[in-house]
Amino acid sequence: MFACVHGQAIPPNVSLKEFAYGFSPLVEETALNTVVIDVEGCELLFGSAYGLANEIAKRASEPTTAGGLGCKVNVALAKNPDAAIYAAHFFTGITFISPGEELTCLGELPIERLRVTSNVTLAPNSQAKDSPSSKSLNVGHLSLEGREVEEILETLRLWGIRTFREFAALPLAPVSERFGQAGVKLHQLASGKIDRNLKLTQAAPRFESSIELDHPISQLEPLSFLLARLLNQICANLHAYALATNEVSLSLKLENGAVHERRLSLPQPMRDPRVFLRLLLLDTEMHPPGSAVLAITIKCEPVKPRVLQSGLFIPLAPEPEKLELTLARLTKLLGSDNVGSPEILNTHRPDAFQVKRFTLNLKKTKKNRQSAIGNRQSLQGFRVYRPPLRALVQTPRGIPTELSAWGQNRSVHGKVVSVSGPWRTTGNWWRSDRWARDEWDVAIENHSISPGGERGHALYRIYRELGDGSWFVEGTYD
Amino acid sequence: MSEYIELHARSAFSFLEGASVPEQLIAACAAHEMPAMALLDRDGVYGAARFHLAAKKTGIKAHIGAEITVKVQRPMSNVQCRSQDFGQSVITIPVLARNRTGYQNLCRLITVMKLRVPKYAKPGECAVTTAELAAHADGLICLTGGGDGPLAGDWETRGRGDKEKMQGIADWLVDTFGKGNVYAELQRHFTRHEEVRNQAVIDLARRHRLPLLATNGVCYASLFQREIADVFTCLRNHVRLENAGRLLAGNSETYLKPPGTMIEIFADLPEAIANTLELSSRLEFTLEDLGYEFPKYPVPAGQTMASFLRQRTDEGARLRYTGRNGSPTYEGARQQIERELKLIEKLKLEGYFLIVWDIIQFCRREGILVQGRGSAANSAVCYSLGITAVDPVGMELLFERFLSEERGEWPDIDLDLPSGDQRERAIQYVYQRYGKLGAAMTANVITYRGRSAAREVGKVLGFEEETLSRLSGLVHTWEWKDPNDSTERQFREAGLDLRDQRIKKFFQLYQAVLDLPRHLGQHSGGLVICQDQLDSVVPLEQAAMPGRVVVQWDKEDCADMGIVKVDLLGLGMMAVLEDSIKLIRDAYREEVDLAHLPPDDPLVYAALQKADTIGMFQVESRAQMSCLPRLRPQRFYDIVVQVAIIRPGPIVGNMVHPFLKRRQGREPVVYPHPLLEPVLKRTLGVPLFQEQLLKMAMICAGFSGGEAEELRRAFGFKRSEARMKDVEVKLRQGMARNGITGKAQDEIVQSITSFALYGFPESHAASFALLAYASAYLKCNYLAAFTAAILNNQPMGFYQPFTLIKDAQRHGLKIRPIDVTRSDWLCTIETDDPETRGHGEAGTRGSGDGGKRGHGEGEKRGHGEAETRNGEESPSHPISVSPFPRVPPSPCPRVSVSPHLPIPVSPSLVLRLGLRYVKGLSEQSGKAIEAARRKNPFASIDDFYQRVPELRKDELRKLAAVGALNFIQPSQRPKAKDPTPKSEKGTNRRDALWQIARVARPAGSLFADLHEADAGSPLLPMTLPERMDADFRGTGLTIGRHPVALYREELIKLDVTRAIDIRELRNGRAVRVAGWVIVRQRPGTAKGFFFLTLEDETGVANVIVTPQLFARYRLVLVDHPFLLIEGALQHQDNVVSVKAKTVRPLSFQVMAAQSHDFH
Repeated sequence: MFACVHGQAIPPNVSLKEFAYGFSPLVEETALNTVVIDVEGCELLFGSAYGLANEIAKRASEPTTAGGLGCKVNVALAKNPDAAIYAAHFFTGITFISPGEELTCLGELPIERLRVTSNVTLAPNSQAKDSPSSKSLNVGHLSLEGREVEEILETLRLWGIRTFREFAALPLAPVSERFGQAGVKLHQLASGKIDRNLKLTQAAPRFESSIELDHPISQLEPLSFLLARLLNQICANLHAYALATNEVSLSLKLENGAVHERRLSLPQPMRDPRVFLRLLLLDTEMHPPGSAVLAITIKCEPVKPRVLQSGLFIPLAPEPEKLELTLARLTKLLGSDNVGSPEILNTHRPDAFQVKRFTLNLKKTKKNRQSAIGNRQSLQGFRVYRPPLRALVQTPRGIPTELSAWGQNRSVHGKVVSVSGPWRTTGNWWRSDRWARDEWDVAIENHSISPGGERGHALYRIYRELGDGSWFVEGTYD
Repeated sequence: MSEYIELHARSAFSFLEGASVPEQLIAACAAHEMPAMALLDRDGVYGAARFHLAAKKTGIKAHIGAEITVKVQRPMSNVQCRSQDFGQSVITIPVLARNRTGYQNLCRLITVMKLRVPKYAKPGECAVTTAELAAHADGLICLTGGGDGPLAGDWETRGRGDKEKMQGIADWLVDTFGKGNVYAELQRHFTRHEEVRNQAVIDLARRHRLPLLATNGVCYASLFQREIADVFTCLRNHVRLENAGRLLAGNSETYLKPPGTMIEIFADLPEAIANTLELSSRLEFTLEDLGYEFPKYPVPAGQTMASFLRQRTDEGARLRYTGRNGSPTYEGARQQIERELKLIEKLKLEGYFLIVWDIIQFCRREGILVQGRGSAANSAVCYSLGITAVDPVGMELLFERFLSEERGEWPDIDLDLPSGDQRERAIQYVYQRYGKLGAAMTANVITYRGRSAAREVGKVLGFEEETLSRLSGLVHTWEWKDPNDSTERQFREAGLDLRDQRIKKFFQLYQAVLDLPRHLGQHSGGLVICQDQLDSVVPLEQAAMPGRVVVQWDKEDCADMGIVKVDLLGLGMMAVLEDSIKLIRDAYREEVDLAHLPPDDPLVYAALQKADTIGMFQVESRAQMSCLPRLRPQRFYDIVVQVAIIRPGPIVGNMVHPFLKRRQGREPVVYPHPLLEPVLKRTLGVPLFQEQLLKMAMICAGFSGGEAEELRRAFGFKRSEARMKDVEVKLRQGMARNGITGKAQDEIVQSITSFALYGFPESHAASFALLAYASAYLKCNYLAAFTAAILNNQPMGFYQPFTLIKDAQRHGLKIRPIDVTRSDWLCTIETDDPETRGHGEAGTRGSGDGGKRGHGEGEKRGHGEAETRNGEESPSHPISVSPFPRVPPSPCPRVSVSPHLPIPVSPSLVLRLGLRYVKGLSEQSGKAIEAARRKNPFASIDDFYQRVPELRKDELRKLAAVGALNFIQPSQRPKAKDPTPKSEKGTNRRDALWQIARVARPAGSLFADLHEADAGSPLLPMTLPERMDADFRGTGLTIGRHPVALYREELIKLDVTRAIDIRELRNGRAVRVAGWVIVRQRPGTAKGFFFLTLEDETGVANVIVTPQLFARYRLVLVDHPFLLIEGALQHQDNVVSVKAKTVRPLSFQVMAAQSHDFH
């Protein structure tokens, strides 16, 4: 016998499969909200198959914290898995189909319900562009072309076949001649006569380790020993499965009842426990828990390990583990917002950039290094003042003539000896953060005197916000 | 006097690269007091005509040019070119037309470029070569352009470029265009890179002695339109504003700047500003100097076009004006013809008339029906040449409505042709006759409108799909708009807040892009002709339809620029008439000549008076049907009035009711002034036609014909306040001179001015009335042929095929189902012999539904009788459609008809539905069935499938589902185990479906000849509702019972009256009607009233819904296929309708075809 469990409203964070493992290790995950359990022999544990079904329904309605699903489910018991699946899908509560009575129970189901698949129920005559009708369907775990099934159902509709019973009543040989193997399988499904083995699913390995402490820990050193122990276990486990991780989560249960959670995202998959330990310790130093620690849990998301060997002509780069440690140290020193690589944004907005996480670009670049050297041109450097200096600018006839600006560490004063501009940018007119400004490049007489005895000039870029008319010095040209 | 002239501007006709229409640019130019301006659209002169006309009005000189895309070789192989590398493969060169030669070269250059590639060529594909540019450079001035010009190189993007390359390109430009014709263009939009390039260009210009030229590379007229330009950039690049980044403009500086600003910007380069005036003065060309000449018609040696035209007209006039049957005599018409010919010769239009005559001759030779419509029907010359079918002399039509000396415009002749292949043949004949570069279709500028505009703007702003649907749904498509409907209210009701910044911006942008050009389409029938030189007048380009060429200007632009055109319009009804004649010839063995139809057929007038007009041209709409019993047409002129009266003009001008009341004798016939009696007598003192308006002005105010036409135009669609005022003053002065003052004057002015906008010309109405009469005649006398023809020309007209079929069945026509053993691709007529009668489950079912209507089978006139009647010499004047028709003079003799005269139906002829009505069956497969059957009848379904290999499996299933395979006799082949032949038995749809499922399944060669052990089907035959469902799904119609008939018992319990029975009820009675909604309408002239037509098995019932009720039941009324309406019966003057009080949806479990909604 097989029991099918189907729930319409299973919470997204709960696994029906995990729930089913509580009853038997022989579980097929037919869909996210449907599982089939081989209940042969379970009567010894639960009294009878019916008793098992009752137990499943009862436990499912218990809250998730108590190991239940927190919702009601349909349970159907039948001699073959597919009859159980149909019954669980379309009959509420508990359904028991005695062997040989499949058609009695399922006979009145509309023929379109043959379409119930592993994880999708097709809308009839679906016209959607990405209609699953063109995909391969797993009807009762029989791999059939979706289009073929749809065609058969359309023909059945034209034949006036409306129910499972009417379809089952058609002689099998003509059905086979008309629809081939797919039709025969659907015919058997409608008759409730198809036998098959479950496609069993294995419980996924878990890469999680926890420890509960007798005494609270408030020092980093003892914590590091415990973290090392847990990480060694997890990494050994990852190694055994030939996996690595790019995300390590640390959860600390604290004495004050709070839970301190941290998550490390890594640019490359790794599985070196020492690196993880250093990273976790650095992170904990930066973000210390608010109270002593009572329990520790470390969890890793398994991913495929990175390919270590790269091309012969790819320039040497630091090992990713070392690089991560270095970056973590820098982050600890400078703050998380101040480490990374600048990235220029695709906009006309002046000085628009963002800091992104620093990663090694190991891909081959097409840049021809030789020609880059040959094409080198002298470019004028520009030093940006961050933040810009607020300025007072004299502008008779709209052109700057005298500049006076000040800031915390520097100030700029002087007469403008030459000027070019304005260079105008405006944009983001459809948003509230629109901008509009006029920039000028100005040369100001310098107090320093050049070796030739001439007075030097300093070049600045100044700008005026067109919204409020305020002036700023943005930076200086080298 | 301005010191700067803008010489580089794009309009929205650069399609997504400019944001202002030419009129906006000219308005800004006028505001800045610039004396001239140049328009250079991308690869075309699309906006030039509008630019020129707008400029002409404001006294600005409009320079014309274009930005030409040029593909350059890399490296250049041209020896003349000193440049070795352009650094880019496609460049844009702005050019200006210096003189007419330059303009002609420009047009030819663009034509070469556009005709080489398909309509939707990829960017960069559509370009000229350097050699082609050089060949057409004469008369053109070249500018070096801005950011995408030939000198742009890498300056714009990288801030540096190659000065040597620049120099090479400059040399090449000078070589191509000549010394003095290349200007070094400088644009200053306040960006660093541009200024670096400018310095390089200045340096280059100084070294090469090229004149500097300041421009602003204008893309829009005013600053705020930068937003539209950015939206267009996004649409062009298929990105959202958020992701567009540096694709968008860096600032808003490409607007049309005032001269003062430009002088300030170029204060360091005064010569660049001064050169704009100098160059402008060199540009002699404007579109005033277009040089268009209408092609000459080749005439025999010794003849001139004038003499040839006179001869042809004379020949035609002698044939047409015979003086018999009440038509004017040749001598009577001669004076008018002479007057017209003199004017035609004076205006040098002989060629035009001869060309149209030539097209008519071609159609006649090829047996293509053709008829002129519109104002051409006012011309006796057109009538004599066979161009039109209405006699303007007999009908006293006004020639000036068609052509007048004062107007200075070309005449406009519209020809109606059967839609489809026949019309295409006529168009191809014109191409062939005048050469590929001598004739082209006029363009149709597709603009941003309604929902599509809302959707595109919404997408650019990044709205998600749900909001997009809500926003585009707000754009009302119903014709009538509630005056209380404010935008705010609409938005609020849709759950959108206009205070939200994004929604507000959406709304602003949506309004701003409305009516801006989007792309160029093709006008439905307008042809311009200019023997082998059209490409020097306006550039030509490929149309989306293969074999078609379009000009870059639309119909209005062509007319405004004085280019004469001929409209070859496709008219579905012409195709129906033509097909009907062929069907009548084949099935009835009669020859119907549309030129000699009896004009007083009592059946036609009986049907018209009863409003039994489904399928008839122009008189089948709900509004026409509600007017027909009141107007009760009794002669041909009544049909002319009927066609013209249901138009916005008479309705808005409140002329319908006075006319009907006067006609019914309920109101005395009075005239605004006794002088007007001759003009308004025919229409009982109420002006109904545009010609009457002109004559009123001529009689009351002493206007000449041309002045009167000018008055009509002043108050027409392109009305302007100032022009209307001028004409009104002139009109009043004229009337005062004739002693018409006070109230009478006001009344006349009022009727003229209110009517001019929407009026219908009498000549046009008469042309349409001829077709209406012909369609009515064919329907009333040859129902089978007419129905088959109209079904073969769907979609057309007001009703769906289902309604046409039910109407024909109610008139007693038997309709046979689709049958692969008999049906052709098109609907055909068969003889109702007993051998074929047994076929089919629904073949004769439908005919009884309308039996109680009074024209059941017992009253039908036989086929033989119809033959006799048509064979007789008609005592009255024949009604003609074409060619050389004779039309009854006015007044026509009245026809007295019995109100219940039935339409005769030949009982021996039945209509066989064609395979084209099987949804999803390709024409190729349908024709293949036809061909295979002609060779041999199908022996079995297996045989059928084997012999029509074109059939797909799904097509076979569709044929079986609609019963088309029911009539294939079961196989006679002996089976292996059963040597006795199987007895013949009928096949039903399910049997066929059962069999085809096996037949269509591919079997290996081993099993190919293996027959099924038991061929019997275990399936139950389809029930009636199942058949109906299969019919609607598979063909969109049923010839069986009406869907509503299935529910009649339930409807009787609900006290629902049948459509046929409401005619017997008295006015004001409460009544319930129910049926399938076949038409929904909310016309703009009906003040918010909503009209429904419900159909049941007995006929149709009209329902009127008030605006209040519509607001209450909107969703039900608009969406639900079956409705039950309760309301008060309005039964006046034989017009029956129900004024709805409550509306209920009916949940019938039958599939229905879509209603025909007018919105």
